[in-house]
Amino acid sequence: MSRDRLTPIERFAAYGRGEPLDRLPCVPIVGNTAARVLGVKVSAFRGNGKLIADAQIAAYRRFGYDVIRIFTDLYTQAEAMGAKVHYPDDETAYLAAPAIQSADEIASLQPADPHRDGNLPQHLEAMARAFQAVGREVPVNGALTGPFTTASFLIGTENLVRLTLKNPAAVHRLCEVAYQSARVYAGAILDTGCTPSLTDAMCSTTVISPKQFKEFGQPYLQRLVADIHGRGRAVTLHICGKTAPIWEAMADTGADCLSIDNAADLAAAQAKVGHRVRLMGNVPPSEIMLQGTPAQVRAAVRTCIRQAHGNPKGLIVASGCSLPVETPFANIDAMLDAVREVGWPVTAAELETNLTA
Amino acid sequence: MSDQTESLFQALSDAVVGMDEDLTRQLSKQAVEQGIDALATIEHGLVEGMNRAGKLFETEEYFIPELLLCSDAMYAGLDILRPHLKHEKNQIRHKIIIGVVEGDTHDIGKNLVKIMLEASGFDIVDLGRDIPPQRFVDEAVKVHASVIALSTLMTTTMDGMAEVIKLLQQANVRERIKVIVGGGPISQSFATRIGADGYSASAPAAVKLVKQLVGESAR
Repeated sequence: MSRDRLTPIERFAAYGRGEPLDRLPCVPIVGNTAARVLGVKVSAFRGNGKLIADAQIAAYRRFGYDVIRIFTDLYTQAEAMGAKVHYPDDETAYLAAPAIQSADEIASLQPADPHRDGNLPQHLEAMARAFQAVGREVPVNGALTGPFTTASFLIGTENLVRLTLKNPAAVHRLCEVAYQSARVYAGAILDTGCTPSLTDAMCSTTVISPKQFKEFGQPYLQRLVADIHGRGRAVTLHICGKTAPIWEAMADTGADCLSIDNAADLAAAQAKVGHRVRLMGNVPPSEIMLQGTPAQVRAAVRTCIRQAHGNPKGLIVASGCSLPVETPFANIDAMLDAVREVGWPVTAAELETNLTA
Repeated sequence: MSDQTESLFQALSDAVVGMDEDLTRQLSKQAVEQGIDALATIEHGLVEGMNRAGKLFETEEYFIPELLLCSDAMYAGLDILRPHLKHEKNQIRHKIIIGVVEGDTHDIGKNLVKIMLEASGFDIVDLGRDIPPQRFVDEAVKVHASVIALSTLMTTTMDGMAEVIKLLQQANVRERIKVIVGGGPISQSFATRIGADGYSASAPAAVKLVKQLVGESAR
């Protein structure tokens, strides 16, 4: 398949102005899969901003997608505030222990200093390097974990969700310190030239109720979005798992683009909030991108496009969540190729005729 | 059953659904004081309440926080009633080994499945999280488990699930131990491909699945 006529930045600009494109924007959300492009171990990213940047740039050049996102795992901010993170030799990191055990200890937590604490300085370095290298042709985002999710890593998820019912004031204190930390980090990300992109995994209605999201998730996200808008940047908000009952509340945060997991339906999302926000999604990362064949990837891409290419605020064809580390390159290529095949403008005829291609 | 006993069971069930730990404890003590059979109190009061909570969870009226507080109430009641069970030692209950596969520490899903299975009368051995495949097999053999339930939220640990099944085959015990899998990245097609006996998308559904696999009753 021939490569693209427009750079990602040109493509987004034209899309925003309603001008002709070469194809829809497409973002397989590449995190630690970037390690495979350089042939390094995932653990080599730890504390190595230059390597993260090199790998992310190499992955972007290898696949030709539309957004670079500097991301290794969701724990970076919680780690900088005292949570313990385990780094396997060649897999994505996971939480070993929260920073505190009970609500009594919340007062001991301090917002992180992004230039000093944990691995935040190295992530900022990766963002700065990537932005300097390719920021003129492709948007470079810095991953920013939402306050409620960081709160869950600070005190433990079960602890936190119990507290939402038993001690709401404590949850607000915890979310506030997580927000203050995120606010300063977002500012530092913006200083590198990158744009923060928000993920608030634990806000999913797979975990908490819509009412709890409105009380403990949305207000802090809304403040962060306003902070980032204050610096003139558009914001993408991703929440994993089920989100249909909170799409409107997610749009109420002021986010410009909602990234929707494959546990949700893009057509339904378009009907509900498509006049307010751009949609991004939602090829299944595990079942299709990791375990499927290129033909299945192509079919899933066409389903996404059929469901939401008419979205008034636009569609970015994307994976429903960050890609698993071992996602086959052939499947990432197939995702981009499928979007190129459909081309622009998207027509029903085109979607049908190429179905078996 | 007398009207009075029946209304106590109903009150207990309501207390569990209402997430009221103190009231559940108080009513459980009342049942003991009144000499009401502990097993009946557990089944018609606590478990009935937890099953109602499970239904509310399935219909998305309750979410994980509510379900956890209901289970806190149920366990508080069980602590009071269990010492008064008459023949528990003679009952052979199906044992289920449960845990999160090595490489992951997300355990809320696993804990919900454990709670719902326990409420259904199964005997659960919870290995915790970040568990190497071999340990599932060793523990299952040691305690004569009928089922191994594997959970993960991370795709990186999915190979570990297949590994458990391979190790069971190597140990020549695959025939008598059922394996069920669940978690965010898991699907029925993945379960089928690795040769698992079942997949379930939610904790209440896991109970139905296990009952199917071992025959209707927990005992």
